[in-house]
Amino acid sequence: MRRALLAAVVIVTLTAVLAAGLASAQAPRRGGTLRVGLNADPPNMDPHQSTAAVDRQVFQSLFDKLVDIDETFSVVPMLATSWAITNNGKTYTFKLRPNVVFHDGTPFNAEAVKFNFERMLDRAFASPRRFEIILVERVTIVDPLTIQIDLESAFSPFLSILSDRAGMMVSPAAARRLGRDFAREPVGAGPYKFVEKRPQDRVVLERFDRHWDRAAGFAERIIFRPFIDGQARLANLWAAELDIIDAVEPTDIPDLKKDTRVRLLERDGLGWQGVWLMTQGTPFNNRSLRQALNATIDRRTLVRVVFGDTATVANGPFPTGMLASDAGPNNRIPERNLDLARAKLREGGQPSGFAFTMKITPGRVPQQVGQIVQSMAGEVGIRVNLEIIEFGALLSVLASQRYEAALLGWSGRPDPDGNIYNNFVTGAGQNRAAYSNPRFDTLLDAARILTTAEHRRRAYADALAIMNEDLPYLFLYWPKEYKVMSPKVNGFVHNADGMMRLRHVWLSP
Amino acid sequence: MTRYIARRFMLTVPVLLLVTVIVFSLINLIPGDPALVFIGGEAGKEAVEALRKQMGLDRPMFVRYVLWLNRLARGDLGKSVRDGRPVMDVLLLKLPVTVELALVALTVAWSIAVPAGVLAAWKRQSMIDYAATTVALAGISIPNFWLGIMLIYFFAVNLRLLPPSGYIEPWLDPVRNIKLMIMPATVLGTALAALVMRQLRSSMLEVLGTEFIRTAHAKGLSERLVVVKHALKNALIPVATVMGLQLGGLLGGAVITEQIFAVPGIGRLAVESIFTRDYPMVQGVVLFSAVAIVFVNFTVDILYSLLDPRIRLVEEKA
Amino acid sequence: MATREDALPLAPRGRAVSTVGIRYFLHRYARNRLALIGLWVMLGVFLSAALAPFVAPADPTKTDFGALLLPPSRAHLLGTDDLGRDILSRIIFGARTSLLAGVISVGLAMCVGLPLGLMSGYFRGQLDNVVMRITDALLSFPFLVLALAIAAVLGAGLSKAMIAIGIVFTPGFIRLSRAQVLSERERTYVEAARAMGASDRRIIWLHILPNSLSPVLVQASLAMAVAITAEATLSFLGLGTQPPTPSWGSMLNIAQAYLNKAPWLAWWPGLAIFVTVLSLNLVGDGLREVLDPRLR
Repeated sequence: MRRALLAAVVIVTLTAVLAAGLASAQAPRRGGTLRVGLNADPPNMDPHQSTAAVDRQVFQSLFDKLVDIDETFSVVPMLATSWAITNNGKTYTFKLRPNVVFHDGTPFNAEAVKFNFERMLDRAFASPRRFEIILVERVTIVDPLTIQIDLESAFSPFLSILSDRAGMMVSPAAARRLGRDFAREPVGAGPYKFVEKRPQDRVVLERFDRHWDRAAGFAERIIFRPFIDGQARLANLWAAELDIIDAVEPTDIPDLKKDTRVRLLERDGLGWQGVWLMTQGTPFNNRSLRQALNATIDRRTLVRVVFGDTATVANGPFPTGMLASDAGPNNRIPERNLDLARAKLREGGQPSGFAFTMKITPGRVPQQVGQIVQSMAGEVGIRVNLEIIEFGALLSVLASQRYEAALLGWSGRPDPDGNIYNNFVTGAGQNRAAYSNPRFDTLLDAARILTTAEHRRRAYADALAIMNEDLPYLFLYWPKEYKVMSPKVNGFVHNADGMMRLRHVWLSP
Repeated sequence: MTRYIARRFMLTVPVLLLVTVIVFSLINLIPGDPALVFIGGEAGKEAVEALRKQMGLDRPMFVRYVLWLNRLARGDLGKSVRDGRPVMDVLLLKLPVTVELALVALTVAWSIAVPAGVLAAWKRQSMIDYAATTVALAGISIPNFWLGIMLIYFFAVNLRLLPPSGYIEPWLDPVRNIKLMIMPATVLGTALAALVMRQLRSSMLEVLGTEFIRTAHAKGLSERLVVVKHALKNALIPVATVMGLQLGGLLGGAVITEQIFAVPGIGRLAVESIFTRDYPMVQGVVLFSAVAIVFVNFTVDILYSLLDPRIRLVEEKA
Repeated sequence: MATREDALPLAPRGRAVSTVGIRYFLHRYARNRLALIGLWVMLGVFLSAALAPFVAPADPTKTDFGALLLPPSRAHLLGTDDLGRDILSRIIFGARTSLLAGVISVGLAMCVGLPLGLMSGYFRGQLDNVVMRITDALLSFPFLVLALAIAAVLGAGLSKAMIAIGIVFTPGFIRLSRAQVLSERERTYVEAARAMGASDRRIIWLHILPNSLSPVLVQASLAMAVAITAEATLSFLGLGTQPPTPSWGSMLNIAQAYLNKAPWLAWWPGLAIFVTVLSLNLVGDGLREVLDPRLR
């Protein structure tokens, strides 16, 4: 009997030890330096002045936001612990997290939030965030941990906007002291604080020990390094110079899937790519000609040739996984139809075809896509002239609307409104095609005000049906989102917005 | 002598002024609104307008030129449009990297070129001479971006002997620093090696044909002594001057080499700032390289005239 | 040791180059085997460029989405590229782009640079001062950086790239022709011509220029080699030829992304540039040896 008891104790003890051992092997390890490879040098460390997408990668660790978005597109608390939406969607009341301090020790509270909003809305400061939160009418401090924001009109995407740069809170003390130079010494409330930034070389962040989330900040330091050349970025990952990299060339993906040295994460992204057609000016002020061009494109082959399966064929602005992704013609890919193309050409008064110039940026992918469109359209007599014009000049040309067609996409936002409103509504800031359709505008305005998913989806479906006839833009593909990392990286959650959220990531030895 | 130096110096002033005019007008003529590029495609028109004002882009070109020149005279190259850093700071940060690359390239180049050139001159018209001359010519002809890509392919992708690209400071990890420098320095040094070798060969041949060498021979000195000690020393002078004038080629070659090998020097800085419309930065970099070249040319001229008084006299007569 | 057995009998001064000289010149040139090889290769390149539609096995812009990135085979001697096009045909047509770039940019530089240099050197004075200062200023820029900046100003496209390269070459030709004029104008035959009442224009064009041709020819062929590399570099950076026109430089640009999978995309265009440029350099060298007897 005693022997059995002894045996039981030994077994239990061993099991406990074993379990403990296993558990500690899985437990996050504190320490180490996380080295991140970016696809460009982040220019501006002030979230209220930043315009480049790559800045946001650094911001995820440097600045906390009012709310965040998780990998299922749901809004989750961050600096705001809860919120109430009242007054027909026009009033948002946020309860703020207590005992939060900025990196410089100053407290985070309702006053700080108000300061941030005023900074973004200040005309003189001219923040690019201003037009993102332009509907904000009034910000009121209810008590030190409660803030109320009143909007001009209901705006469903508001919370998702606050999960990006517009919701990032900067230290008022630092912002007041530094003004526009805040970007040189940024002070936020994130789990990592700013150490240094050397242009075109690196950005270094260090763990902030007084962060509110005790379960955040495993790595001691994070170093972001820009590698414009995709091969170089990848090569450095293989050589264990980097732990995780952002963006890989589509041509590398098939090999990376089989590569045991690294882990490849793949998921659908948020952005869309295709061709802008300038609707004010020949030849594309003629809708039939736009439809003719559209009918010559075999989207499936194009995507296969250029991307393999690293991009999804598209016919609308809402990638898979997003609300309204199955709305209307969004994911119904039209087949190539040369007869229809020729019929449309006749309808448009150009039976033997016409010529136009499509502007593309330098780079392999735009050149390939452009040449494929050229080759496909050429079969019915549509002659496409390609003009490589680098990004800077392209933006100017698009802004002044002196072009016929241009290959350019949109990086994407979590809420469907962010993927369509400012790009296609009459007179909107990014409406490069000078597209104007009042019924379309009304539907999109409605989609902003409606609050249930089903209602919004229906509004978008109707809007897309209209756009699919008018074709101010030819949607071609939705690029997939990839991250490649060393097997030593643990705890990384891959989010569709492509942002690297590193606060819960840890390195195994 | 000082009169000569002063005269030469006076001549460089208008050149420098012209350089500033050319740099400014060229950069500002590049199409594309820098405010728009800076903001990117995804912001409102208001923000763009405000930024233009802030950058001073709403004023006429001539006014902007004068303002720029003014600040230049005080040593202020302006601030980068991208992140507000002073252009001078960024330049000084990146310059050492390019200088290191250039120095390694020079070392590679000279260690190949000098023995090759001497050998070719010594054994002229022989197989060695033909081989060396052809290889030198090949070195000049090979497009440096192709050489770079091929080197990456063989040594980094295929054989995995060297890291493909990047940079690390020499004091942080000297071994890795050299490993990273080998390929770009070879690419950069190849054309230079070829040039030096050819120039050395021809000037050695000239020297070897002179009376002074014949005298040395007559005195019974060994052939090798004659060649190496006497001929080489004298032949090196024109080579050194040719090299000084190659600074422009070196900087230009660095542009492509730094792009391919992701080396953060001023060559890559130039390309990236052109593409990002960072006007102050482009102006700063281009101006800097032009001034450096003017300065080097000036120094070479002075040195050459010190060594060869005939030049000075001819100049003064003209 | 240098001997004088190969000394070229100096042509009589003041006379335009005679036909007897040309035959002798060709004979002299052919004695340099390397230069001869270079000449033959160049002729080959020119011919294939000129007769490209007949020499190339396929249409260089014809895509074939079922035949992407094929290695060299009997059907496609050099393989196919990322859009299924035959690489051999693209290389052959690419020669047109490169040669055009070389000829036009150098031609441009010569048309502007030679007269300017000649007049500047002949008339001296204020004109000379201004021209020389501007030339010095332009020559102070690293060649590629200046070409890049000018190409960025003018925009993308082969013609704009050619103009940019031409502009960058011009100061070199100005300097060269000016130096020639400076050394020629003191010669007795010029004084004699002037004494006989010849006008300045006559002196420049009929007497000085023909005697200055040799170094100009050498410079021109060497400049062409640089121009071809420069056009390839600009195309490599995205500022030269526009797709789908084949250009060796832009082909190399695309090839970078496929180094692991299809390295031959990078071998052929680079080799083409190399061979062409090498031949031009050999020709230029050969010319220099023949026309400038001091340099052995």
